[in-house]
Amino acid sequence: MLSQVPRRIDDTMLVREAQRGNRAAFEELVRHYDQAVLRLALHLTGSEHEAQDIYQDAFLKAYKSIGRFRFECSFYTWIYRIVTNLCLDQIRRKQVRKEDAPVAVDSEGEQFDVLAQVADGRSGANPERDLMRRELGGRIGKALEKLTPRERMVFELKHYHGLKLRTVGEVLNTTEETAKNTLFRATQKLRGALGDLR
Amino acid sequence: MKCEWVQQNIVLFVYDELPDDARYELEQHVSRCTGCAGELESAKRFRTNFSRSPIQEPSPNFLAASRMKLQEALESAEQGAWWHRYIFDPAAWLHQIRFAPALAVAIFMVGFGGGIGATYKMLRTQPDFPSGSPAPAPVQASIGAIQSVAQQPGSNQVTIKYDAVSPQVRTGSLNDPNIQQLLLYAARNNFNPGVRMDSVDLLTQQPSDTHVREALIYALRYDSNTGVRLKALDGLGPAVKGDVQVRDAVLEALMSDANPGVRIEALRLLVPVRADSSVRIVLQRLAAKDENRYIRSQARTLLSQLPEMN
Repeated sequence: MLSQVPRRIDDTMLVREAQRGNRAAFEELVRHYDQAVLRLALHLTGSEHEAQDIYQDAFLKAYKSIGRFRFECSFYTWIYRIVTNLCLDQIRRKQVRKEDAPVAVDSEGEQFDVLAQVADGRSGANPERDLMRRELGGRIGKALEKLTPRERMVFELKHYHGLKLRTVGEVLNTTEETAKNTLFRATQKLRGALGDLR
Repeated sequence: MKCEWVQQNIVLFVYDELPDDARYELEQHVSRCTGCAGELESAKRFRTNFSRSPIQEPSPNFLAASRMKLQEALESAEQGAWWHRYIFDPAAWLHQIRFAPALAVAIFMVGFGGGIGATYKMLRTQPDFPSGSPAPAPVQASIGAIQSVAQQPGSNQVTIKYDAVSPQVRTGSLNDPNIQQLLLYAARNNFNPGVRMDSVDLLTQQPSDTHVREALIYALRYDSNTGVRLKALDGLGPAVKGDVQVRDAVLEALMSDANPGVRIEALRLLVPVRADSSVRIVLQRLAAKDENRYIRSQARTLLSQLPEMN
C-alpha cells in the first residue's frame, strides 16, 4: 500500500467525498488549508475580525460550490483563488474609503501594528532591536499601501507565502508572465519607498 | 541590452523564479558587470529587509475560534445540489477558453456552421410531394442536418434534403439491453460532460460486461473531462488484477493523463499489481524522471518494496 497519503491524493479523494455530501470530508479539506488562508487574510486586512469574516466566507463559498469543482485545477489553487478574490475586494473597499494603515484589533480590543514585530516579553529581549523592527514594520506597511491591490496581492503571495509565480498566476486567473511583470512593478515601487534602508 | 535584460530579471533571480539557464546567464553577467552586481546586491538587501518583518501566524486560539465559528455556519449551510456540477458555468468556461484561442476558433466554427444548417423547428412533411399540392398535416420534428440544397433551373423551386430528428424517451432497468445501448452511446458521444459522467457512473454498476468495460476504457483514454475519467477509473479499478486490457489502460493514464489527480488515482489502483512486469517497467520510468515529485517518490517507494528481478 502507499506508505504516506500525500496531500494531492487526499485532496482528490476528499473533494469527491465532499461532492457526495460528506461534510466530514469537507471539514478535513478545511483543516489542510485553513491556517494558510487565515494567515493570508490576517496579513492583508490587519484585522482579526475581518480576517475571520474572510476565512468564513471563503470556506462557506467553497462548501456551497464544491459540486461545481471539476478538477481543472487543484483544490489548493481553487481555495486560494476564492480567498484572494475576497481579500482583493476588501483591499479595494478600504482604498475607496481611504482607511488608515491597517492595525490589528485583538480580542481585548487593543490595537497593534500587524506589520511590526511583537515585542519579546522574555527576559533578555533587546528593546532597541524591537523598536527598530517596529519602525521597519511601520515603514513596510506604508510602502505596501502604495501598491495597487493586484500588486499587493502578487507580492504578498510571492514574498510572504512563497508561492511560485505560476501558481500566483493560476490563483489570480492570469498568466505567469503577467504575474512576473506585476511582481517587478511592485518591487520597483517598494524599493523606491524603502531605498534608504540598509 | 544585456544589462537591461539583467535589470528586468534580477527580481526573478532573487525570488528563485528564473529557469536554470537564465540563472546561469545572469550570474555570469553579474560577475563581469559592476553596475549589475550592485543592482543585485540592492535587490538581495530589499528581500532581506522585508524578511526582517515576517508575517504573523494566527494564534492557536484565534484559529480554533475561527474553526468553531465555521463549523457552526456549515451546519446550517446547504451544499449546492449534486446536479449543479452539470450546470454550464459561463465564467469558468470563459476562463478555460481565454487561453485557448484555437479552441475558441473551433467552437466558433462549429457553432456558426451548426447554426446555419441544423436544429430549427419545422413542420414534418412527406419527403417528396408534388409541387403545388398542399402540405400534409404537420408533425413537429427537429432538423438533424441539412444534406443538400438545390434550386431547380429556371424556377423558384428549391429541393432540400435533410435528416429529421425527433426527441424520444426510454425508461427501463440497467439490465435492459436498449438502456445499456443508449448508455454506451451517451458515454462516448454526448457533448455534455454531465450526461457523459452520468452514463459512465451508471455503467460502472456493471463493470464485468465486456462492452461496458470497453466504454469505460474509452472514457479513461479519450474523455476530455477529468471528472468523467475519474469516474471511469472508479469502475475499472476492480478489474485491474484480472484484465490485462484494463491494466494497460490504467497504466497509460498513469503515464500520460493531463490531470495529476487522475494519474495519482491510477497509481493507487495499480498497487495490488505492482509486481507485474509491465507495471514494474512503468514504475522504473516514473521513478527516474517523472515531472511530478509525488509520483516519482511513490514510484520509488513501490519499487523498493518489490523483490529484485533476476
